[in-house]
Order: sequence, then structure tokens, then C-alpha cells
Amino acid sequence: MLAGVAVLYLLTFIFDPEVGKKALITSGGILRMIAPVLLVVFFLIALLHASINTKYIAGYLGKGSGVKGWIIALGGGILSHGPAYVWYPMLSEMRREGARDGLVTAFFYTRSIKLPWLPLMVSYFGLLFTVWLTFFVIVGAWLQGILADRLLSVDSAERLRQ
Amino acid sequence: MIVQSREFPTERRSEKVNERIIEALGRASRSLRMIAPMLLAVIGLIGLFETVITPEMIKALFGGSTLNEIVIGVFSGGISIGQPFLSYAIGGELLHSGVSLYAVTAFILSFVTLGVVQLPLEWALFGARFTIVRNLLGVLFAFLIPVATVCMLGFFQ
Repeated sequence: MLAGVAVLYLLTFIFDPEVGKKALITSGGILRMIAPVLLVVFFLIALLHASINTKYIAGYLGKGSGVKGWIIALGGGILSHGPAYVWYPMLSEMRREGARDGLVTAFFYTRSIKLPWLPLMVSYFGLLFTVWLTFFVIVGAWLQGILADRLLSVDSAERLRQ
Repeated sequence: MIVQSREFPTERRSEKVNERIIEALGRASRSLRMIAPMLLAVIGLIGLFETVITPEMIKALFGGSTLNEIVIGVFSGGISIGQPFLSYAIGGELLHSGVSLYAVTAFILSFVTLGVVQLPLEWALFGARFTIVRNLLGVLFAFLIPVATVCMLGFFQ
């Protein structure tokens, strides 16, 4: 994939060097922006390996986690910072250790609630709109989690058997 | 003698902890090293998309019936990339230029929940089945949540 993107950049530089330069600067800016979050994710993955075993993850985010699992997933998604793809490595590791697909799906969806940007949303669309949208995103994340658990249950069982 | 026998297990325990920390850091760096090329590719694509797809291009897409506008909102939000505040700014402008609140909500929601550019990375780390199911659910709810939000807003205003 990296080679493909490099070719895309090469073509952009050939046909429109200005756009290519601007895109490269934008990418550099994104890399600088996500670097601190990536560092946090790196230490969280290390922590996951050092102190948390499979039994612990299965207990908190696995099949029998119940309400506790939903609170961790929904709350974690709301509080997590930075772009979603930065969290992919950690979440895929947790999934491999026994975290439920539904909870990972719910985590991803509540990430759309950006706490630091809520005041700006209120200023653009009003308080009532922001409150209802946030409420429905949380409900939607929970419903998506339930549906994902049902639809991916065979996949999860196979993964845990491996 | 007694002191030695008490210290020995503590030393061994701290050695074991150190070994565990080093191993955990090694595993974490291996995980990130493994996805680094794909992560760089995604960042490169995002930079390219942000430069090529401008807010003016997105605004030009909207028009037609409310349902048509919601569909455009979901898909233009899905291919757009940037900080969340950008979606609010574009959404605000769309609202001022007469686009329905349903479509604007669909746009700002799919802007942060769907990401076409990130799909290859998600696919590689979570597998095809999970990626397809999660993103299809995301698209479905990008239609349902705006309708629910605007209906409740109308009910309470």
C-alpha cells in the first residue's frame, strides 16, 4: 500500500508539483499531530502486554462482561483522543486477547463524540441539537455493538479457538 | 543468612518484572513497526485527499430531494478527511445555503465515523468480515441517527 501511495505522490508531483508539495506538507502536519497520541498508544499496548493477561481482558471486555464492558467501551470511545486509525493496533491486540467485536464496534462509534469540540458544535447548531445528536450516537453505538456481536459471533468464536 | 533468604526472592521478582517490562516494550514496538508502513500510507493518502477534495467541491455536490441530500451527506462525509471542526464549519455553511438539517447531520456524522481512506488498515488489522460489518452498520446508522435527531429537535422546539 505504501508503494501505491508513493506512486500516487510521484504522479501528483509530475502533473501538479504544487498540489504534491501541499499534500506532503499536510501529511507531515498530520504525522506531527498524531505522534503524541501514537506514543500514548505504544505505552498502552506495552501495559497491555506487561500487566493485563487474557483472562483480565476476557473478564472486562469479553463475553460475560455485561454492563461493565459496555461502560468501558462507550466511555473509552468518548474519552479517546486523536484519529481512529491510531487506536487500531491497540484495539486489534485487545480483540485478539478476547475483547468482544461488539464492544470494539461501540468504541469506534462513540469516538465520533469529540468532547473538546462540543462547544463549537453548540455554537454552530445549538445546544438542543448537540444534546440529541450526542444521545443518539451513544444509543446508536450500543445498538451497533449488539448487532456486531450477533453478526460476528461465528468469527469471534473461530478467532478465540485459534 | 535470614536477611539474604528474604532479599533473594525480592531481587528475583524485580528481575522478573524488568524482564516482563522489556518484553512488553519489545512486543509493543514490534506491533507498531509492523503497521508503520500502512499507517504512513494512510497518512499520505489523507494528506492527498485533504489537498485535492476541497470544501467547495463538497458543497457543490448537494441538491435535490431531502433523501438524495442525505445520501450525498453520508457519502461525501465518508470520503472527507480532516479535523471534526472542519465538518461543523462545512455543515454550518451548507445549512446557510439551504441544505436540509438531515443531510448536514448525516455529513457531520459520517465525517467522523466513516473513513474510506482508513479501510485498508482496518481490513489488515481486523479482517474483512469485521471491517465490512462495522462499516455497513456505520452507513446504516448515518441514515438513522440524523432522522432521529432532527425529529426529536422538531418535537421539542
